[in-house]
Amino acid sequence: MNDNYHVFSDGRIERHDDTVRVITDDGEKKYLPVENAEAIFLHGQIEYNTRFVSFLNQEGVAVHVFGWHDHYAGSIMPKRGQTSGQTLVDQVRAYDDPAHRLELAQAFVDGSIHNMRANVTYYDGRGYDFDDVLAELTEARSSLDRMETVDETMGVEARARKAYYSTFDEILPDEFVFGGRQYDPPNNEVNSLISFGNSLVYANVVSAIRATALDPTVSFLHEPGERRYSLALDIADLFKPLLADRVIFRLVNRGQLTSDDFEDEMNSCLLNEHGRKTYSKAYEETLDETIEHPELGKKVSYQYLLRVEAYKLKKHLLTGEEYVPFQRWW
Amino acid sequence: MTESSTDPVDRFLAAARDETEELPFRLTGVMFQYYVVCERELWFLSRDVEIDRDTPAIVRGSDVDDSAYADKRRDVRVDGIIAIDVLDSGAILEVKPSSSMTEPARLQLLFYLWYLDRVTGVEKTGVLAHPTEKRRETVELTPETSAEVESAIRGIRDVVSADSPPPAAEKPVCDSCAYHDFCWSC
Ligand code: SF4
Repeated sequence: MNDNYHVFSDGRIERHDDTVRVITDDGEKKYLPVENAEAIFLHGQIEYNTRFVSFLNQEGVAVHVFGWHDHYAGSIMPKRGQTSGQTLVDQVRAYDDPAHRLELAQAFVDGSIHNMRANVTYYDGRGYDFDDVLAELTEARSSLDRMETVDETMGVEARARKAYYSTFDEILPDEFVFGGRQYDPPNNEVNSLISFGNSLVYANVVSAIRATALDPTVSFLHEPGERRYSLALDIADLFKPLLADRVIFRLVNRGQLTSDDFEDEMNSCLLNEHGRKTYSKAYEETLDETIEHPELGKKVSYQYLLRVEAYKLKKHLLTGEEYVPFQRWW
Repeated sequence: MTESSTDPVDRFLAAARDETEELPFRLTGVMFQYYVVCERELWFLSRDVEIDRDTPAIVRGSDVDDSAYADKRRDVRVDGIIAIDVLDSGAILEVKPSSSMTEPARLQLLFYLWYLDRVTGVEKTGVLAHPTEKRRETVELTPETSAEVESAIRGIRDVVSADSPPPAAEKPVCDSCAYHDFCWSC
């Protein structure tokens, strides 16, 4: 149920009877049982046709395409069975009301900082001393309600994330030098891992939003249209520490990812195919981890938490009931 | 308000009798069931809150096998508002999916009888049945049951016209409710 399939090779992907088949450039055939899949992630150079797209549409499976530099390039989303005009209207109203938008933007940042803090707290005391960073994150969090604009709120987010990232150089082995976030293109191993991990979280949030009638382009913290699905950026921020960063720490500290898993190109450093496979596998395992959800009264997977987050936001917009962002509770 | 009457029942009836009038609010048979079962669910339904199709038990009772009935039945649609099963005997059949759904199904059936009587002038009797139960219950429109329907219409209108749904309150049906995760995630 809700499986993601990652295709790393170059080649062709097509419908074959009632399943999906990948034929790699060296002639190898692989079958993906997509009946209960959530999405297919294409990482290589892949050809497909309209018959393939119609089939996935019918099966309700999304395709997320990753291009050069592991950048998220776009998604083919299955057509929705229903849409809700009411939800879109409520969503746009909230965006258009400065006080309401600010309140939501602050909620996203508040949750994000809490979740960054949870990671730092874990390492603090396990041989590291992150008191300063923890204090800075606490201070950033409590400064939020003094912010009067979304821009200022974004500024708090950026400061907090910078402090959070400053712990990476200590947590990760010496062989991996980070030295701060660098995107376009990532300049070292750590940046390349963060970029790749974040884009996987982002694509999964895009799928989760699709399970509601929310419009993925109408966002609150990020400016709509900044990228195509800016609402996915708002929600993804909450989950990066739990989903993307923990996988980095685990794989690198256990030596499952080493500098051999990267390729240096001009001014950039990127995961090679083996590195991407290793990361994606561990990432998918993390999505499948479960946790007892106190309000829902049952165990849910981390992946389902993304969908719950989309539900929560939609419920808030529709009913006016308070939106409390995801904050790691365990 | 400029209408001569603001009572939801009068407004509904006036619009239902006059095809050129727009109904003052949407009213369907199943809303009467939700009204009994959970007003919060009724509010979600009225806003077309979409539920993910992979959730099990999406529609409570939708798996009841209707073909279990020997009687000849006809599907009749009236004014696009009600869709009823008319038995050979002329009675209106309502199937209750389970014994806990007796009251909700009874109210829905009463609404059909009430609608037929007040809007189209046809008097009918109702039959409430469960496929596996031999016993059937007859349901009739009386001054008391009419009053029940009318008070439900006012209640439904209050629920669906509110800006927010009534707060969630845990009850046994929550476990099988399609809105469960939507409702309880906070
Ligand atoms: S989960 Fe419970 S409270 Fe919520 S709509 Fe369903 S029945 Fe009502």
